[in-house]
Amino acid sequence: MNQQPVEVVPVSFQSTTGDRNKPFHMVYLVAMCRAVPVNDLLDRASQRSDKMHSLSTLLTQEMDSHFPPYGRMQMPRPADCHTSALQTPNDKEQALQVSESDLMSLARSLLQAWVDPLAVLSTSAITLPHPSKSSISSKIQELQEHSKSLGDGLDILSGKMGPSAQAISFLPYTGGTDLGQDRVTILNKFNFLLSCLRRDSHKIDSFLKVLRCRAAKLQPELC
Amino acid sequence: MKKVGEVVLLWLLILFIQNAAGEGYSPPGKPTNISCRSPEKETFTCWWKPGSDGGLPTTYALYYRKEGSQRVFECPDYKTAGKNSCFFSKNVTFVWVNYNITVVATNSRGRAFSDPVDIDVVYIVKPNPPEEVVVNVTEDKDWPFLQVSWKPPKMADTRSGWITLFYEVRLKLENKNKWEEVSAGQRKTLQIYSLRSGGTYEVQVRCKPDHGFWSEWSPSSRVKVPEYFPQERSMWILIVVFAAFILVIFIWMVYMNFHSVKRYLLPPVPGPKIKGIDKQLLKSGKSEDIFSSLVVSDFPPTTSNYEDFLVQYLEVYVPEERELIMDEGKDLQDDSFKTENSTCDNDSGRGSCDSHTLLTDKGGGDKEDGQQSDQEGSQAEADTKSQEEALEEELLACSHENLQSSNISNEKEKVKSWPSLFSPLPQYSLSPVNRPNPPKTGQQHCLSDSLFTPNSMPSYFTQPGPSTRKGFRSNYWECSFDHKQSHPLHPQSAAHEHLQAQNDLNTAHVDYMGAPLDVHVLNVRPSEYVEVQRVSVEDGVLLHPISPSQEDSRTLSHQTEDYSRVRMVNNDNGLLLLQRDAIEEEKSMCPYQEDVVSRASITPTLQNSVTGINTALPILDEMAASGYIDTATMFGLPTH
Repeated sequence: MNQQPVEVVPVSFQSTTGDRNKPFHMVYLVAMCRAVPVNDLLDRASQRSDKMHSLSTLLTQEMDSHFPPYGRMQMPRPADCHTSALQTPNDKEQALQVSESDLMSLARSLLQAWVDPLAVLSTSAITLPHPSKSSISSKIQELQEHSKSLGDGLDILSGKMGPSAQAISFLPYTGGTDLGQDRVTILNKFNFLLSCLRRDSHKIDSFLKVLRCRAAKLQPELC
Repeated sequence: MKKVGEVVLLWLLILFIQNAAGEGYSPPGKPTNISCRSPEKETFTCWWKPGSDGGLPTTYALYYRKEGSQRVFECPDYKTAGKNSCFFSKNVTFVWVNYNITVVATNSRGRAFSDPVDIDVVYIVKPNPPEEVVVNVTEDKDWPFLQVSWKPPKMADTRSGWITLFYEVRLKLENKNKWEEVSAGQRKTLQIYSLRSGGTYEVQVRCKPDHGFWSEWSPSSRVKVPEYFPQERSMWILIVVFAAFILVIFIWMVYMNFHSVKRYLLPPVPGPKIKGIDKQLLKSGKSEDIFSSLVVSDFPPTTSNYEDFLVQYLEVYVPEERELIMDEGKDLQDDSFKTENSTCDNDSGRGSCDSHTLLTDKGGGDKEDGQQSDQEGSQAEADTKSQEEALEEELLACSHENLQSSNISNEKEKVKSWPSLFSPLPQYSLSPVNRPNPPKTGQQHCLSDSLFTPNSMPSYFTQPGPSTRKGFRSNYWECSFDHKQSHPLHPQSAAHEHLQAQNDLNTAHVDYMGAPLDVHVLNVRPSEYVEVQRVSVEDGVLLHPISPSQEDSRTLSHQTEDYSRVRMVNNDNGLLLLQRDAIEEEKSMCPYQEDVVSRASITPTLQNSVTGINTALPILDEMAASGYIDTATMFGLPTH
């Protein structure tokens, strides 16, 4: 991540909960190859995460439009999501106390945790016993693309933010590649995964937008 | 007794009381429609719709569970948000946590549970309307605009990025009903232009989180736009000046091209022309002549007649002289055209002059019709047709070798395609008639140069042209006439001369007519005119102007020749000649015809070269029938 020959090391971001007012300073210098400013990078990243969450919301709505009502009784609760182990803030105060590096680390961990489940969803969507499976499949593929490019962007961003931002918590997906055998089970599992994805994508989006406003000293009008 | 009555009364009272207590009382109805909203993602409120209360005082309680825990909580605040609501404060609000909420209605008769709902606070965000909406009218060079600014709702923390809001502004004129909505993105100011001068506007603003619901519209802010009419007036002045300028230019252009415009808008109406009718004759009042002119004895023309006609119109000169003729023809044609152009017939507009339309229209059809119709003297219909036919024929005659004949039907094109004679068809038609002095040379050219031998003046040409004939025909007449004789073209006087000339020219037409009438008679049979007389048997079409003198000598000699009528002139070089078997019938064909015949006989030599004619031969039969040969077609002789 050291393309610029000259770069001022940014001020560190201690992950102390009491330092919520620590300014987010990032100084960059224009090198031979001009680097994109961090706030601009964060802006782009938050736009992509926004798009991801919108897609997942559309997916859940599309699933519900034809989902048989009786199947919902057995829907697992969101607490069973494979990412529930990750400790994330539960209200605004908590969220605003998290340091930038931790916020970035959380976002990246969540994003990484969904790479495999998205692949499972993608393969299952093709044979999903659902009338809108083609539309669902295309949206999932789009999600995968956004996820991939967002991951790359966050890699670059975290590189500018220090080592603590680059730590990723490992959240393995243990659901296997098969969603089930019978139609109800498959649809239930599919729905459950989509609801977990919806929430996690919203978390990623929120964290990035908080980061964006913290970095937007040059563009206060956005926040 | 009294005690029994009291007991009964007491019993009745008890029953009554019991009944009274039970009537209309029932357990409460189930609460429904639980909906929750969070204005800032930090607190939220839930409302429900109570069911029937069963006639008893009913209390409502809201219980909730958070995901992952079985512990049930009750709503902490039933009052802040009003009736039938529950307000969750910050302390009890958690995001990214599912709440399972149930409302229970209770009265003394029982209780009712609502259906549980699951909510996540982050998905139910509906902010308050934007606040402090300020609308200013800003003057900017006499073009005022509105400057709208606002602030986010107090509770929403947009500064930290916890909530991202998008704004929307709408405005309308005070007395109208249609709102105009403008999106402002994440900005907090907006400029609105294109205002109605003097109008009063109402402006409202609302906001929406990135993933949530739109807020309500803010209260209206009113503003009045000052008058700025003078600016519009200057714009109108500019528009008027520009339009006037355009108008002046347009008028000037029309003035410069007045005549062509006039011609385009009011095309000259072609005067009626009856083939074979000599106007002078009509004027002279000699009915006999007139009628005789109308009556064509030989109509429908027999084969021999056809031949005559053909001969008259087209005399395809045998190749040996071809080159010369062709060369001459071009020159002659040009001259003839020029001269003819100058003498355009002025009666009835320019129809006779601008006969190319006539020619084109009539070309094909007339040929067919001409013979049948006109010969009988049905001038009415044949007039125009005959005119065209005549024109065409004349042209054919003139164009001789340059006939490109598409075929009768395509006269127009053919005419145009003809390199020599017929290309300037309109000119040709125009000039001749009114030429006071038919340019002999010119006419002669046209007649003789290409295909016509000097003797083979078509009868048409002999007609006194200019005065009576319109355009084309007269041209022909003149052409021929002059060519032969330098007679002044007068219908009456010239009639005889024409006849003679025709005779000289071997104009079959004259013979056909049988009338002293000159060319006009021929006009009566438009088809005839156009027809190409039979041309050489095989494939030679001899068109040659027959000089009067020569014609005489020839008249009788070739009567028995085969005439094939030029059916049509191929585009390239084919002259469609109808082969006529009954050449012998030519009989009284004018020497002109015979000349043609003779030519035709010579054509065998030409045949080889006249490929077009070969092909044309079969068509010529048809042509013969129709009696018309489109000169254009006819003249498509190959240039051998």
